[in-house]
Amino acid sequence: MKKWRISNLYLALVFIVLYLPIFYLIFYSFNVGDTMDHFSGFSWRHYATLLSDSRMISIVLNTLIIALLSSLIATIVGTMGALGIYSAKKATVKNGLLSLNNVLMVSPDVIIGASFLIFFTFLGFSLGFGSVLLSHIAFSIPIVVLMVLPKINELPKTMVDAAYDLGASSWQTLTKVILPAITPGIFAGYFMAFTYSLDDFAVTFFVTGNGFSTLSVEIYSRARQGVDLEVNALSTLMFIVSLLLVVGYYLLGRYNQNRRLQRVKAAEAKINQ
Amino acid sequence: MKRIMTILIIVLAICGLLGGINYRLNAQTNAEGSKVLNIYNWGDYIDPALITKFEHQTGYHVVYETFDSNEAMLTKIKQGGTSYDLTVPSDYTVQRMRRAKLLEKIDKSKLPALKNIDSRFMNLSFDPNNDYSVPYFWGTLGIVYNDQYVNANQVQHWRQLWNPRFKNKIMLTDSARDMLGVALITQGKSVNTTNAADLQAANEQLIKLMPNTKAVVADEIKMYMEQNEAAIAVTYSGEASEMMANNSHLHYVVPSEGSNIWFDNLVIPKTAKHKAAAYAFLNFMLQPKNAAQNAEYIGYSTPNKAAMKYLPKKVADDPQFYPSEKTVAHLQVYRDLPLKVIGKYNDLFLQFKMTK
Repeated sequence: MKKWRISNLYLALVFIVLYLPIFYLIFYSFNVGDTMDHFSGFSWRHYATLLSDSRMISIVLNTLIIALLSSLIATIVGTMGALGIYSAKKATVKNGLLSLNNVLMVSPDVIIGASFLIFFTFLGFSLGFGSVLLSHIAFSIPIVVLMVLPKINELPKTMVDAAYDLGASSWQTLTKVILPAITPGIFAGYFMAFTYSLDDFAVTFFVTGNGFSTLSVEIYSRARQGVDLEVNALSTLMFIVSLLLVVGYYLLGRYNQNRRLQRVKAAEAKINQ
Repeated sequence: MKRIMTILIIVLAICGLLGGINYRLNAQTNAEGSKVLNIYNWGDYIDPALITKFEHQTGYHVVYETFDSNEAMLTKIKQGGTSYDLTVPSDYTVQRMRRAKLLEKIDKSKLPALKNIDSRFMNLSFDPNNDYSVPYFWGTLGIVYNDQYVNANQVQHWRQLWNPRFKNKIMLTDSARDMLGVALITQGKSVNTTNAADLQAANEQLIKLMPNTKAVVADEIKMYMEQNEAAIAVTYSGEASEMMANNSHLHYVVPSEGSNIWFDNLVIPKTAKHKAAAYAFLNFMLQPKNAAQNAEYIGYSTPNKAAMKYLPKKVADDPQFYPSEKTVAHLQVYRDLPLKVIGKYNDLFLQFKMTK
């Protein structure tokens, strides 16, 4: 009994440490004053500034579009890459490809960003939406591969063989057998890529240009003057949106599970009849 | 497969929706067209109302992008792939960019409003004759003190910092050139010296300041001073004005024997594509009323002499931010020193920091 209490206490402590800074920030977004030193009264002032700052809103939208699109394309490419690595016949080739993938995963963002900058300017590619999108896709692919590959490895080899035996073409096998089985891995890869893209600063900083900017670059460049509470207000809104997304995802999952359970029950009832 | 396709379509639809909103948003604030001006500035370093006013007055659409350090900006411009029409380097970076041939020579005949700039802030060592740059804001290095612990007359000069009564009371800025500069000034030397003996002597002087030093820090100075945790700090005027806004016991002094003066300047990079727009904006920002409005918003000192009469009297007559003629004459601008000498400054400063 005592052990159980200690573990609960520990869990609570960890969550407090993780969430306290966020709530501190949210709390001060309602401050009348301009600093986080003391709370002088409640107001929506900083939210009003935020909503009238069309440049900031445009940057938020840019950030979201980049994150959604880049992770989508990275997921497609990464899933195909994972399938490719899986189907490599020789062990040395397989390990080699996987190592190359992992090197990209662990190499520092700053180096990736700087090399992209040199690469794009060497090609005469104008910096902006395109360069940011391409580089985000590039650094997200290894993450997707790492999330999808274990799922493919879990896939029983016999299932694929059975599909071929029953006369499925390789396209049918891919879309009707393999992809449905690895869907959880693909979704996990997508969400990981999405969060990576959303909060990336180092790579993005190097490849933004010509008026295109993302949220992390913009907030960082405001640091010289001291970040104002408009950023707190924005963080609060983003936190609420991500909270809603998580809750929505949870409810959707439960709804699907319930439906599946009902279907199974209905089927059982039919058999029993 | 069906689930994957559904998600794919949903994501694409959201992207399209966001893109549409974004397009509408940008279309609302500006009329699309070729009349564009790309500005690359420090984050939050202009009154946004002035940009709107400029757009209304001239019909140009301003694309505004931000950076966080001189070095970052320099890298972006040097590497190419961008076409900024205006950017805002500090003094030593102007010198560096000029030397790297990154700057477009300014045609003064297109800049009639340049006469509004105080002649004291023209023709400085980092850009003789102002061939490449127009001063935007300026500031100084000085002493901030808390009148609850220190009398004003105890901190009017740099050498007074060495007074034993300030034991463990002073916060220093973590910057080799600034702090060695203070020691050099007390010894009557130039802040741009490359003389090894002068630097050595300055460092020995600085090491004697260690007993009085509470900490050598950067941005945290602001917080500590505001919360009355230290009596004295050596910091920049811009930081000082923010501290003073939050704690009425704080005051700022620029020692009359001299100090560093810094400038942020508007320049046109060689890669600029809309030079006519850049000149229009320079003239716009040089208008006294606009310069005064911007100075009030940012809180730094404006080099625009004609703008002074539009500033509130309390600001314009404040010797803390607009020091007397005599003091200004003693202020020195940092010059971009050879890499080897900068290394020497850094080594000596590290030596000083390790004596604690």
